[in-house]
Amino acid sequence: MVRRRALLGGLAATAALGLSPSAFAKLFIVERRRVEAFTLANGLDVVVLPSSRAPIVSQTVVYKVGSADEVPGKTGVAHFLEHMMFKGTATVAPTEFSRTVSKNGGRDNAYTSFDSTGYYQTVAPDRLDLVMRMEADRMANLRISEKELIPERQVVLEERRMRIDNSPAALLEEAVQEQLFGRHKPYGMPISGYVDDVKKLTVNDLMSFYLKFYAPNNAILIVAGDTTVEQVRKLAERHYGPVPARKVEPRRRPAEGAADLPQRVLRADARVAEPRWSRHYLAPSYRKGETQHAYALQVLAHLLGGGETSRLWRALVADSKLALSAWASYSPASLGLTSFDLSVHPAPQSPMVEIESAVGSQLGKLIDDGVTADEVERAQNRLLAGAIYAQDSLSSGPRSYGALLSVGGSVADIDAWPQRIAAVTPIDVIAAARHVWRPERLVTSMLTPQAGSR
Amino acid sequence: MSLLLRALVVAILWLPAAVGAVDIKVVTTPLGVKAWLVQDKSAPALALAFSFAGGTASDPAGQSGVTNLMATLLTDGAGPLAAHAFRQRQEDAAASLSFSASLDRLSGSLRVLSANREEGFELLRLALAQPRFDADMVEQRRAQVVAALNQANQRPASVAARTLMAIEFAGHPYAADPDGTPDDLKRLTPANLKQRAAALLMRSGLIVAAVGDIEEAELARLLDSAFGALPLGTPAALPPDWQPPVKPHTIVVERPVPQSTALMALPSITRDDPDWYVALVLNHILGGGGQQSRLFTEVREKRGLAYGASSSLRSYRKAALLVISTASANERVAEAIRVVRAELARLRTDGPTEQEVTDAKTYLSGALALSLDSSGAVASLLHSMQVDNLAPDHLTRRANLIAAVKIDDVRRLARRLLREEVLTTVVVGKPVGITADP
Repeated sequence: MVRRRALLGGLAATAALGLSPSAFAKLFIVERRRVEAFTLANGLDVVVLPSSRAPIVSQTVVYKVGSADEVPGKTGVAHFLEHMMFKGTATVAPTEFSRTVSKNGGRDNAYTSFDSTGYYQTVAPDRLDLVMRMEADRMANLRISEKELIPERQVVLEERRMRIDNSPAALLEEAVQEQLFGRHKPYGMPISGYVDDVKKLTVNDLMSFYLKFYAPNNAILIVAGDTTVEQVRKLAERHYGPVPARKVEPRRRPAEGAADLPQRVLRADARVAEPRWSRHYLAPSYRKGETQHAYALQVLAHLLGGGETSRLWRALVADSKLALSAWASYSPASLGLTSFDLSVHPAPQSPMVEIESAVGSQLGKLIDDGVTADEVERAQNRLLAGAIYAQDSLSSGPRSYGALLSVGGSVADIDAWPQRIAAVTPIDVIAAARHVWRPERLVTSMLTPQAGSR
Repeated sequence: MSLLLRALVVAILWLPAAVGAVDIKVVTTPLGVKAWLVQDKSAPALALAFSFAGGTASDPAGQSGVTNLMATLLTDGAGPLAAHAFRQRQEDAAASLSFSASLDRLSGSLRVLSANREEGFELLRLALAQPRFDADMVEQRRAQVVAALNQANQRPASVAARTLMAIEFAGHPYAADPDGTPDDLKRLTPANLKQRAAALLMRSGLIVAAVGDIEEAELARLLDSAFGALPLGTPAALPPDWQPPVKPHTIVVERPVPQSTALMALPSITRDDPDWYVALVLNHILGGGGQQSRLFTEVREKRGLAYGASSSLRSYRKAALLVISTASANERVAEAIRVVRAELARLRTDGPTEQEVTDAKTYLSGALALSLDSSGAVASLLHSMQVDNLAPDHLTRRANLIAAVKIDDVRRLARRLLREEVLTTVVVGKPVGITADP
């Protein structure tokens, strides 16, 4: 099935939905973006985002599997497997994948998240055939040898030391995830795995994970850039078409977070120079929980803490000068529940208790007094403008499509995003805030230079 | 457009000889402001990249950090608009204006939707002509910079980077932290910031690049409105010449972390050196690009000693370095460094293989295009070409320059640059088995 979609076609409707006729309305003169989606007979979903702005093309294959699909005792397997995907197949020698991309003037890399694992390359259009052939090959024919696994385990552990163990903030974040989502629960385990588990993972562990989840019917192919849907269809049929579908068990995520909330997590660390106060609320995502709040929560995060004109920044940084920065964030593209996060960098001499009470009073004020139509509109405009600028970049499109489609969203959902954001009302924002800001859903965390809060 | 941009990038990739296919227009305004323009009819936005001569390396004595702090504050209120109002005007126009300072230049960028560019340039004009430096914003930004310095002082990678600059450029202005010292920062007044702005914001030495759906005359008018009122001025003097180190150094900075970060530096060649493209090829073979380099292969693939092992070329106005970076568990970092040094020696003694040179050239020919995936990226390329004193038709010649690199050139440069006898090594962490200089 081929669907024709204009990613931001929906923007034209936002004016009709009552957005101000301010300068923002002029945003709508945007090149309509053609997005095409189809599915191969073996179940591989294909999305094409043509753009002729530069003679380059990117391929991304996203598997619908991430660290949250691991079982306790085998954590880290999704990420370790991502590394081993570069270590050869029946016909491609270890490390030859990336060497070949580089030799052909391209770049490649990969990532692992809680819900998905992605592999991507950027090349000149006439090398698309090459990278599609190689990506399809490792979808079906991966070989993992003990000889390659042993040094790569050290690489994986060094990556963890660099990203997590060397960083008190990252260590605290792992502890917060565990408190919020529950120990040994999908999002409660670190993406890179527990070190003791990683040290024990075997070739067999990695291969069974691969065979369980790496299949065309559990993947999405996204091709963006200087190409056509006809070309992509032809190449996808040729290279991915022959890869047989496999039975893949549906993924499960708990409907609830940890049972014993609220919690506090403190980390006092000699390596911390500047304190941080954060709060994390369990929140619905696009896919789990009270999903009807997912759009209002994006607007809420923006007006509350989306930059220097936001409520938190104005109150804590500009007016009371209690803080050096203050942010709110919310990412709805999650298969399970997600979190709504607040983060404050206290000013020197600001006690944590004062930060906490200042944030509390801002949240209370928002619930009690409501939000104005004007600030909702400004937040919507910022969100929509961000989407337009993202369109100007070749890399941001595939990333956001991959994040959403890998957790079960559709191209139609992406198309409808501008209207859904524009349709959010002040009442929706308050309803979403009331739903999420509850003591039985929160973890408060503090990072301090020495023991206790200062 | 996108025929022009397309032609531009195609030229980089495949049509090196097709001079004239590239259409970078050089616009000179009635008031004498010069800009490079790539017209891109498909872009809904205008991207502007510009810079003024003089950067943090010319911070006046006792005022370290003044250029960096001033750059941040340029968008914190101007003319009749206090910080919040100024920011809201940007948001209402979906415009984004920012300034930053490097060692040698004060740079700015403006991104605005085509429909709102009048407003975007008005905000730019205000920021340049009437920055406010309100006392409360000065305090806020100062506190943020000091906090960031404190934080950087605990982050192994930042400590390593700072230490490397301090050692390699000891006695030269490049040695100072561009963000300043907390003591100097605490003493800076709004008057200091105003003076610094006046000393740098001038038309002489100004470099401008634009990408968007805009006619030349229209761009000229807008540029004059924003930059025209600035004085012509005399740019700050260049930093003095740098005397590269003449002996090896090993420095250990202790931090309580499980993994040590290592940086190694060698004096290199600047962007205007005739061997520049040879240096690009040499660097690519040693530790550049993705996952094919010798350092990546030997340190990571074969031995699992690190997640990353790479090298890069850094060219400043008055100095250049080849910097190697890796990070390994405290117990293994000595071995990682040993492997890096062995690779330097091997490449210096034996040179590269023909295949390595060929592959590096293919990659380097294509790699530039890969990064040109947004209007802002193209604008910043046009800007840096001017900083580097290149001609507008340089992109049509670039592939030829890369193609002309011969294996003997790479051998020669390897012998000239990869000299352990002037290698500076900085290790941050609790490394085992590394002996620092006495």
